[in-house]
Amino acid sequence: MIRLDHVTVTYSGATSPALRDVDVSVAEGELCLVVGPTGAGKSTLLRAVSGLVPHFSGGTLAGRVLVDGRDTREHRPRDLADLVGVVLQDPARGFVTETVEDELAYAMEQLGLPPAAMRVRMEEVLDLLGLAGLRDASLRDLSGGEQQRAAIGAVLTAHPRVLVLDEPTSALDPPAADDVLAALTRLVHDHGMTVLLAEHRLERVVQYADRVLAVAPDGTVREGRAADLLEPGASAPPLVELAQVAGWRPVPLSVRDARRRVTALRGRLAALPPTVTDAPPAGGAPALTARGMHVRYRRAHAVRGVDLDLDAGTVTALMGRNGAGKSSLLWALAGAGPRSAGSVAVRREGRDGGDPAALVPARARELVALVPQDPMDLVYLSSVADECAAGDRQAGAPPGTCAALLARLAGPVPDDAHPRDLSEGQRLALVLAVQLAARPSVLLLDEPTRGLDYAAKRALAAILAGHAAGGGAVLLSSHDVEFVAQCAERVVVLADGEVVTDGSARDVLVASPTFAPQVAKVMHPLPLLTVDEVRAALAVAG
Amino acid sequence: MHPAAWWVWAAGVVALAGRTTSPAVLGLLVAATLVLAGLGRRPGAPPFSGYLVLGLGIVVVRVVFYVLVGLKVPDGQVLVDLPSWQPPWAPGVELLGPVTAAGLARAALGGLALAVMVLAVGAAATASSPSRLLRSVPPALHHLATAAAIAVAVAPSLVRATGAARRARRLRGLPDRGPRALAETALPVLADALDRAVDLAASMDVRGYARRSGRADPRALPALVAALLASAVGLYGLLTGDPAYAVPALAAAVGLGTAGGLLAARGARRTRYRPDPWRGREWLAAGAGAIGLVGAVAGGPPVVLAAVVLAGLGALVPAPLPAEVSA
Amino acid sequence: MTAPAGRSGPGRAAAVRLGRWSVVALVLASAVGLAAFGWPLLVNPEAGLAHATDAPLVLGVVVAGVLLVVHLALADGGMDVKAVALLGLLAAVGAALRPLSAGAAGVELVFTVLVLGGRVLGPGFGFALGATTLATSALLTGGVGPWLPFQMLGAAWVGLGAGLLPRRPRGSAELVMLAGYGALASLAFGLAMNLSFWPFTLGSDTALSFVPGAPLGDNLRRLAAFTVATSLGWDVGRAVTTAVGVALVGAPVLRLLRRTAARAAFVPAVFVTDRTAEHVADGSADRVPERVVDRSADRSTERPATGEPLPR
Repeated sequence: MIRLDHVTVTYSGATSPALRDVDVSVAEGELCLVVGPTGAGKSTLLRAVSGLVPHFSGGTLAGRVLVDGRDTREHRPRDLADLVGVVLQDPARGFVTETVEDELAYAMEQLGLPPAAMRVRMEEVLDLLGLAGLRDASLRDLSGGEQQRAAIGAVLTAHPRVLVLDEPTSALDPPAADDVLAALTRLVHDHGMTVLLAEHRLERVVQYADRVLAVAPDGTVREGRAADLLEPGASAPPLVELAQVAGWRPVPLSVRDARRRVTALRGRLAALPPTVTDAPPAGGAPALTARGMHVRYRRAHAVRGVDLDLDAGTVTALMGRNGAGKSSLLWALAGAGPRSAGSVAVRREGRDGGDPAALVPARARELVALVPQDPMDLVYLSSVADECAAGDRQAGAPPGTCAALLARLAGPVPDDAHPRDLSEGQRLALVLAVQLAARPSVLLLDEPTRGLDYAAKRALAAILAGHAAGGGAVLLSSHDVEFVAQCAERVVVLADGEVVTDGSARDVLVASPTFAPQVAKVMHPLPLLTVDEVRAALAVAG
Repeated sequence: MHPAAWWVWAAGVVALAGRTTSPAVLGLLVAATLVLAGLGRRPGAPPFSGYLVLGLGIVVVRVVFYVLVGLKVPDGQVLVDLPSWQPPWAPGVELLGPVTAAGLARAALGGLALAVMVLAVGAAATASSPSRLLRSVPPALHHLATAAAIAVAVAPSLVRATGAARRARRLRGLPDRGPRALAETALPVLADALDRAVDLAASMDVRGYARRSGRADPRALPALVAALLASAVGLYGLLTGDPAYAVPALAAAVGLGTAGGLLAARGARRTRYRPDPWRGREWLAAGAGAIGLVGAVAGGPPVVLAAVVLAGLGALVPAPLPAEVSA
Repeated sequence: MTAPAGRSGPGRAAAVRLGRWSVVALVLASAVGLAAFGWPLLVNPEAGLAHATDAPLVLGVVVAGVLLVVHLALADGGMDVKAVALLGLLAAVGAALRPLSAGAAGVELVFTVLVLGGRVLGPGFGFALGATTLATSALLTGGVGPWLPFQMLGAAWVGLGAGLLPRRPRGSAELVMLAGYGALASLAFGLAMNLSFWPFTLGSDTALSFVPGAPLGDNLRRLAAFTVATSLGWDVGRAVTTAVGVALVGAPVLRLLRRTAARAAFVPAVFVTDRTAEHVADGSADRVPERVVDRSADRSTERPATGEPLPR
C-alpha cells in the first residue's frame, strides 16, 4: 500500500538529511507504528507519505514514494486527498471551520462530491467515531479527545485508504486516548484501513501495532515487529524495560500478556519482606499553606474550598480528569489567576513570605513560580540568548544564571535559535530556566509532559527532584501516570473542584483503576510502581 | 434563513433612508430595524447596542454642529437666540446665532436618515451569521472567502490566547499595563498565529484545498481588467453628472466582472454540503428589500415603499408546523 | 520534524505573486479608488451626485465592486494555500488586537500589523491583508457600514505601500522608515476617510459643510476645520500608536514574519530521480543535483509542464 523506495530527504539549508535511504513498505490493512526520539525524522517520514515533503515544506527528496501506486512526484498533497487522510499533530490548529459538521464536510466539498453522497458519508462517519451528538458543537468547545476524533472524521469523509496520524494521543488524558485508539483499531479491523501512526507515548499504542518503523537520529529507518524492535532505552515503554529486568522473551506488549508471565517473578518478590518503603513525610513548616481556596467564574465553580499544604522537599502530583479544576487551582495558588475566597501563605528561606496574590508580580514569582500549560506564552523575544538575558534582568539574578540553568536542564541549546524552533523538551527547559532564575520557593507546573519523549521526561523528573532536594516544593498537574509514578511522592486527586484523595503516590496509584501505571497493574497486588523499584527489589532478592 | 436575505433587505432600507426626510417614514424604518435586531438575532451576534449608540451619536453630531456653526437662515420661529460671533481666525464662519425650530428639525432628520442606514446594516449583521454568509459566496471568491472564514473562526481563540499571554506576563513578574506591555503581549500571540498558519495550510492542503480539475481560463484576467476600465468610465460619468456615460459603463463593469469571475472559477470542482436553502421567507425578505431599493432609486413614494419593506419582516414569523393529520 | 526554520530567508517573499495583469488591475483599481475617495473635490456641481446625501453610498457600492474585481485578479494570478492561511491568521490577529487596544483614542495596533506584514510578504499580500483585516474585524465586532468599502481600500493601500517601500534599509534604518511610513499612512487614512464622508456626516447646512462647486481652497479649508473639530485627535492617536508599535515590536515581529516566510515559502521542492543519490545524502541540498524535476511551480495555479496528475 505504501512503498518508500530508497528515500532520502534533505531540507534546504540543512547539512544532513532528515531521512537517509529509507526503503520500507507497509501492506494494506496494517497498523504501522513509527517510533523514535524527538528530532529523528518521524514527522518527515509521515509527511513524505502524504506528499507534504517536499511539495509543501520544500527541500530535496531522492528516491520514490508510492501510495497505492501513486507517485508523490506527480501527485501533490491535494491530489492525494482522496487516498491519504492526514491528521497532523495538535488537530485544533488544523481546523478550518467552526462546527464539527462543517469541518467533516470540508474535505468532501473540496473533492467536489455530489450532495447526496456527502449526506450519506457524513452520517456514516459521525456514527463510526461517535460524534453524532456533537455535530453542531463548536470545535473550540470540544475536549482534546473529541477534537482528535473530529480531526480524524474530517479526513475520513474523503474515504481515504491510508490514514496517517502524528502523535494522536500524546496530549490526551488516558480515557480520551483509549477512545481514539479504539476508533483507530476499529478502522483497521473492520474497514481494512492502513494506518501509519507516530507516537511518543507507546505504553498504550504498541500492543495494537502490526509493524514498527524505528527512526534513528541519523535518519535511517529499521522495520520489524514491535517485540523485536523496541529496546530498553530512550524510547521504550515501561513494559519493555520490565521485560528486560525480568528476562522475558519475546517482550510482552500489553498488560494482559505480561500478567500471564509474571507469576514466577511475583512469587519471588512476595516472599521477601517489603523492600520499598517511602520516606516519612518531611517535618517542619510546609513551604506553602493554602486554606479554603475557591475559584469561581461567573456561575461555574472551578475550585471549591481546597485546603492544601505543600511540604518543602516533596514533589506532589495533582491529578483528575479534564475540567476538574487543576489549572484553576494552580493559577490561584500562584496568585496570578482569579481566586474568590481562601488564603495562601508561602515560606521562603525560613521566613514567612506572605500571600503571592497580595504582592507585586516581581515579588510574587520569588515565592511561587508557575509554568503554564503552554510554556511559550512566557516567551516573547526572538532568540534564546535574548530570552535568557531578559530572564536574568527580570529576576534580578547575576547575568548568565538563566543560560547556565538552561544548559544544565537541556544540554547545549544554540544561542541564536528562535525559541519556537526548539523541541518541546528544550522549550520547557527554557521556560523553567527563566522561572527558576528567581529562585522561587514553590514550583508549579501545569501539564508539563505534553509532547515530551521518554528521555525528556526523565530529564524533567531529575529537574523536579533537584528543586525539591534544594528545599523547594513542587506541585505538578498531569495525566501521565507513568511520569507521576516516576517522580511524585504524593498524589492529590481533584474531582469537580474538590479534593477526593490525598496520599502517598503509592497508596493512591496502586489502588486506582484509571491512574495505575503499567508496572503496578502487572505486579498487582505487590505495591511496586516503577521498573526501578522492581529492579531494586530483585537486587535484594538476589 | 439564508444569510444573504437580510442583507438585501437592509440595502432596501438604506436606499430608502437616503431618499427621504419624512419623520414618519424614518420612524417606520427605525422601528423595522429594531424589530429585526430584536426578533431575528442570531446566537453569538455582537451586541446591537453598538449600532444604536453610533446612530444616536450621528444625530447628536448633526444637531451640535447645527447649533455651533450652522447656517442660520431665518426660517420661522426662533427657539433660542444665541449671541453670534465671527472668530477672526476663521473667515466666513459664524459661531452660534439664532436657533430655529425648522433648522433644528432639519439637522435632526438629516442625522436620523444616516442613523437609519447604520441601524439597517447593523440589524442585518445581527440577524445573519458572517460565517454562513462566507460559505455561500460564489466559487471565484473561494480563496478570499476562505481567508475571511479562517479569520472569523480563529479570532476568538486568538482573543483567548491574548488573555493567556497577558496573564503569563504576571507569572514572569512583568507589568501588564502600558504600551510596552501591550505590544509585548501581542508578540507571543502573533508568533503562535504565524506558526498556526503554516500548520493550517498543511492541513488544508492534505484535505484537497484548491484542487482543480483544470486550469483557470486565460481570458479571466483580461475580462477583469476590462471590468475595472468600465468602472473607471462609469465613475467619471457619475462625477461629471452624465448618466448617459455612467449607467451603461457601470452595467458593462458588472457584466464583465461577472464574466471574469465565472471564467476564473472554471475548472474548479467544488460542491457545497447542505447549502442554505432559498425559500419563501428568503424571497419575502429579499423581495421587499429589492422593491425598496429599486423604488427608491426610481423615485417612488417613500411611504408605500416603507410599508413594503416593513412587510418583509413577515419572514421573521416562525414557519407553521406541518398540520396534524386529523383522523 | 518540520523544516529547520530561521534560515536567513529572503528579505521579502512575495506571498501573492503579481503578474502583469494583476499589476494593471491594481493600478486601475487604485485610480478608481482615488477618484471615489476624492469625489467632493472632483464632482461637477451640476451632477446629481453632488447634492444627494447618499453619494458615499453610491460610491461605496462602486468601491466594493472594484475591490471584488481586483481580488479576483489577485487570487487568479497566484495565491496558494499558504498565502490564504497566512492571510486568514494575520487578519484574525488584527481583529483580535482591536478589543485589546480599545478604550484609548485611536489606539489601533492593526496598522502596525499591516505595515510589517506588507513589508515582509510583499505588496500584493499587503493589499489583500488590508482589505481582509478590516472586513473581518467589522464582521466580528459589528463595524459593518457604508464606510466599510472605503476603509478596506484605504487599509489595502497601507499594506500595498508598505510592500513597495525601498528594499535596502535594514536594521534600525528599516524601523525608522517603517515607523515614519506607518504614522504618515495612518494620518492619511483618517484624512481620506474624512474627505469622502464629510459631506455625508455633516449635511449641507453648516458653515463647515461641503459646498458643491465652491473653489477648491474654500472646500479644503472647511474640511480642515471639520477635521480639527472632530477626528484629528483620533487620527493623531492612531498615527502615534502605529509608529510606537513599530518602534517597540518592529524588530521581533519582522524577524517572526521572515521566519514564517522562510518556513512557509517557498523554497523549491526538488525531486532527484537518481536512486542512489549519494550526493544528496551527504552533501548540502543547496547544490542542486543534475537530474532533477523542479516542482516549485506548486504555488501558482499554473501546473508545471510535467506530470499532470489528473485527467482534464
